[in-house]
Formats: sequence, structure tokens, C-alpha cells
Amino acid sequence: MRDAADVRRRLDDHDYLADVGLSTALYLSLELGLPLLLEGEPGVGKTAAAKVLAQALDVPLIRLQCYEGLTAAEALYDWNHQRQLMAIRLSEARHEKLAEADLFSEEYLQERPILRCVRYAGPHPPVLLIDEIDRADDQFEALLLEFLGESSVTVPELGTFHAASPPVVVLTSNRSRDLHDALRRRCLYHWIDYPSPERVVEILRRTVPSANVSLIASAARFVGHLRTLEVEKAPGISEAINWVAALSVLGATELVREDVLATLGALAKTPDDRDLVAAAVSDHAFG
Amino acid sequence: MAPSASAVLSPVDRAALAAALGDRLRRRGMPVTLTSLATFTRALEAAPPDDVESLYWTARVTLAGRADDLAIFDAVFDAVFRDAAMPVEGRRQRPPVDTGSPADVWAGLDAASGVDLPGQGLPWHTLPPVVSSDDDPPGGTAVPERLPSALAALATTPFEELDEADLARLGAWLEGALVRWPTRPTRRRRVHPHGERIALRETIARSRRTGWETMALTRTRATRQARPVVMLADVSQSMRPYATAYLHLMRAFARGGSAETFVFSTELTRVTLALRHRSAAEAVAGATRLAPDRYGGTHLAASLQALLRSRHGNTLRGSIVVIASDGWDADEPEALAAAMRRVHRRAHRVIWLNPRAAAPGFAPLVGSMAAALPYCDDFLPGDTLQRLRQVIDAIVDA
Repeated sequence: MRDAADVRRRLDDHDYLADVGLSTALYLSLELGLPLLLEGEPGVGKTAAAKVLAQALDVPLIRLQCYEGLTAAEALYDWNHQRQLMAIRLSEARHEKLAEADLFSEEYLQERPILRCVRYAGPHPPVLLIDEIDRADDQFEALLLEFLGESSVTVPELGTFHAASPPVVVLTSNRSRDLHDALRRRCLYHWIDYPSPERVVEILRRTVPSANVSLIASAARFVGHLRTLEVEKAPGISEAINWVAALSVLGATELVREDVLATLGALAKTPDDRDLVAAAVSDHAFG
Repeated sequence: MAPSASAVLSPVDRAALAAALGDRLRRRGMPVTLTSLATFTRALEAAPPDDVESLYWTARVTLAGRADDLAIFDAVFDAVFRDAAMPVEGRRQRPPVDTGSPADVWAGLDAASGVDLPGQGLPWHTLPPVVSSDDDPPGGTAVPERLPSALAALATTPFEELDEADLARLGAWLEGALVRWPTRPTRRRRVHPHGERIALRETIARSRRTGWETMALTRTRATRQARPVVMLADVSQSMRPYATAYLHLMRAFARGGSAETFVFSTELTRVTLALRHRSAAEAVAGATRLAPDRYGGTHLAASLQALLRSRHGNTLRGSIVVIASDGWDADEPEALAAAMRRVHRRAHRVIWLNPRAAAPGFAPLVGSMAAALPYCDDFLPGDTLQRLRQVIDAIVDA
């Protein structure tokens, strides 16, 4: 990719409308070989950005979903203990001597997402998506530092694996907890904001092509209006897309009250929000 | 009346006493040789002191070798023996028992940490064993409530009757009182002999010593991690007499661990960073300055909503939430009930401190308090130092 505008165009080809900030961040991440940390409210398209980037670059996407208690055995590599035990029994049966190096060789090494990324053999490096890193505990962040800094993984028994060319790494976080400075220091950072109503219209047109133009416009306005209310879970872009898709499936061409109430589940995710949205429907002037 | 020599010293480990005192003196910069410590120990045996004054001289004569050291020696001796701090107990507080026994002389000789501050005593193992008396409550021996003279009087005094200096002393004690922290199990595992899961990796690594023959299974169990604590204190006009004491309590938690602390009156203000200041007075003043609306009206429901909406709203998940308020709220009780419902769903435990609950005949009749009560796991008065102890226990054991 030549520049930020090129990144934007290529993402656009895959139906992801990136703004200048995101496309610049992605371009710099590719150009400088630095990981990119994406933060934003849930449902603004952080994960989607990484997926589309992999499509646009035409490389595989390797995904690591984070959760509490995630360890090196799930993220970096593990040893195939069952095979090791088999090898021990086999060598006993054959009366052979088994050296330590025999048990801890590449044959018994199981790749997990990060090591798979480092040892990837294709012509272009893959995209690694480390999703919702804030859900992992802070001990896990420390595990990532070597990989993020040097694009390498050290297996004590075997040595250090270096990536032939540094993989494209995208980390996402919902900011449910503050990430360590050591991690932030190694990454580029981009905060994805809610897009403006005009952009929402563009995005909806692209993602729900079957929906009516005027329906999309009024739906985008209504979602924007909801965000100004005191809802517990503010609807993001992904909720808006689901909602318009639901309306479109029901055959709605205009935003009318009955259809909105019927599709409320796509927009409001708690009982309190459901009541609030239902009340907002009555107040909102559709047109 | 001076207690008899045997009553004071016979149960005390003299060597431990000498070593601990010597250690404290050294840490304050006074050179204490092993020889002088041995001399001190022998002196204690040879001439058992029958009061603090004679102990002072025995120690000074044997330990302080130069005139320059005397100032340090006096300071340390006074801190250790003359006005010691209230002890910090890791267990649930026991009711105070006035033994009136000679052990009172040693009442302050207790310390939870090695930090040498004025007002800290010697390690517990130099203390005389507790002699049970007829005053003991049934069902177990009781440790006498060891309070320094200054704090003992405050233990049951309501906060509104304390002056600035008393509150500062209270703050200093609270800071040392937090020795444990509530924990929760994590999904991370560690090797442990009593673990319930077999760790293949460690087991195979270990079998290397026995020619790859697995002789012993290595097990793991879940580790525990500090539980988040979120504390909110009401600084409205009606809570004014208690605000400073609760700020001191919040400071203890903000410094001792990773508690998030907020004050609210008409709006919510985060004071965690201000409260972490090294100086207690500075921290409390800083936190008070941060709240522009202090001693105004109360918007409890709106403040809770603001907390839930803010990015600290996620900190509430699985946390222990402590709300200190008298429950007088200008918002609608329904709004408070809705906010408390959400807080209760997110939090592990909700503890409400209401200083007015201690008043005889108190009933939560104020609309907001009655609305919030169903969503509280604990409802504690917390209006005196002694009750704050119960609060700390309730938080730590939650």
C-alpha cells in the first residue's frame, strides 16, 4: 500500500469505510512494522478493521481472543505432552535411551496463535488480531512484550524464533482496565470514535444494500439521538447495522413505530434500555 | 502503683526484646553492637526492672554508648514504650476487656510492620502471654483491647465529637490498620501440593529426574487475586461531621491497595489520586479541594448513575462497593433504586455505611434509604473508630 489514502481505498473495496485517522494509523502500522492498539466503545468496528485489513492485504488472519487466565500455553506455544508420554513408553519398550533433546524438539512443539504468526511461511506476513486484550490479566501483557517489541518468541528448550518479516499486529481493547505503559509504549495508538450520522448513513448503505435510502437516513438519525439519551449500552455501529438489517428483513421502507418496537431487540440490550428506546420512539419525529 | 518485677518481665523473652529494640535503634541510625545487646539482656536478668523508668535506665546505660546517641535512644524508647499505637489485628475484632492486670504496662508492645514510626511497639513474641480473667467472654480467650492512651478514648466517640487532631490520629491508625485485602479466585493456576488438577508440563519436567518415569504427579490450583474495591463517600451538608473520617478510611484503602475512591454531593468526583498523597493531611485536604460542591445538597442517584456511565463503571464488576451516606437524597427514591439495582448486579458485595444508623431507635425510614436497602449486602453504622474496625473487617472478609 502506497499511502493512507490507498489503505482507505483498499478497505473501501471490502466494504469497510475507514476515516482518515484509522487509515493513517493502519498505514503507519504497516509501514513502520509497529503493532497498532485500537481502543473504542464496543461496536465501533475495532475487530472488523483488523479482519478487513487481512482481506485487503490478502493474507490470513490469525486471531487470539483474550480472556482472564490466558497463558503462554494458549497464546504462544505448548508441548504435546501426550506424544511425549508415548515417546517415553516407546523408548522403554525398545530399550532405547531417551535424551532430553529428543522430547523437547520441534516435533513435539504445538504452535499457538503468536508462534504460528512468527513462523508463518507465506510470502507476506499474516495479520494477527489480539482481541480484547483488556480482558486478559496484566500478567499476560508481560508475555506479549517480547513478541510486540522484537517479533520473536523464545522457547527455552529450543531457542528464539524470529519472524522473517514482522507480522501486522492489531490489538483491540474496550478499556475496561488500563493497559500497562510497557505495552502502550510498543504500539501505535488509535481511538475509534462513534462516526458522524452522515458516515453512519454511508456505512449502512454499504453494509445493508437491501435497505431503503430514506429508512437508512432516519434510522441513522434515530441511533444518533439514542446516544444522547442516558442508555446503559449506547448503540454502536454494529447494533445500527443489525437493526437496519432487521427492519429491512421485515420489509420496512419507512421508520414506523410498530416496526421499531418489533425490532427493538437489535438495538436495546437491557430491559431498562428497552423501555427507554420505546419511549424515545414515541417522542421522536420520524420523517 | 508499679507492677512487681516478676509480673512485668518474667513472661517476656528478654533476648527477643533486646534484639528488637536494638534493631529499631539501628534503623534510626544509632550503632548498637551485639556486645551491648548481650549486656542489656544480662542486665535485664540481673536487675529486673519494675517499671518503665527503671527499664529506660537499664537500656540506656547498656545500649547508648555516646551522648550523641541519646536523642535517638530517647525518641525510640518513647515511641516503643511510652505511647505506642493501637495494634493491628488480622482477625475479627474482639470486644474490649479491661483486665486491669500488670500487662497494661506492655499494652502497646505490638507492631504489625517493621516500619519505625513513633507509636509502634515491639513484636508480639516479646509480649507476655494473655492471662485469662473472669471478665473473659464465654467461648474463647480475649486479647485485651490494646489502645494507646490517645486513641483509646476515641474508640467509642462518635466522629462528630472529634476535633482535627483526633481525626489526624484516627487517620494515622487507619493507615496501618489495613493489613489484608479481599481476594477472589482467578483462572490462572499455580503449582500447589493440594491442587486439584494435574499439570502435565510440570509432571513431565519432573519425571526427567527419574529417567522419564513418572513417580510423582504435580498438581495446580487456582491462584487468588486482589478484589477491586470501590468506595463512595457522601460529602453533602448532612454528612459534614463524618466526611473527614471517611476520607481517612478511603485513603487507607486507596494507598493500601488499588481501591477507586469517589466523593459526591451534587456530582461525582474521583479522588483516588489525591488520596494517595504521602501526607494524610495533604491528601484529605486535596480530596476536599477536588469536590467543588462539598457540603451542598445530595444527588445520590445521579452520582451513582454517573459512576456507572463513566469508564470506572467497569471497575464495579466483581468488586466490593462501599457507600458511605446517610441516605438523604434530593433525587427520586425510584431513581436511586434503579441505580442501586445496577450497582448490585455488577458488584460482588455492596456495603452501606450510615453513621446515623447507630442512633437508638434508628429505622431506615427516609425514602431513599429504604429504596436502597434491598440492594445492600451489609448495612453498618460506622460512626466511631471501633465500628470502623468492623467496617474494615467486613470489607476484607467480603
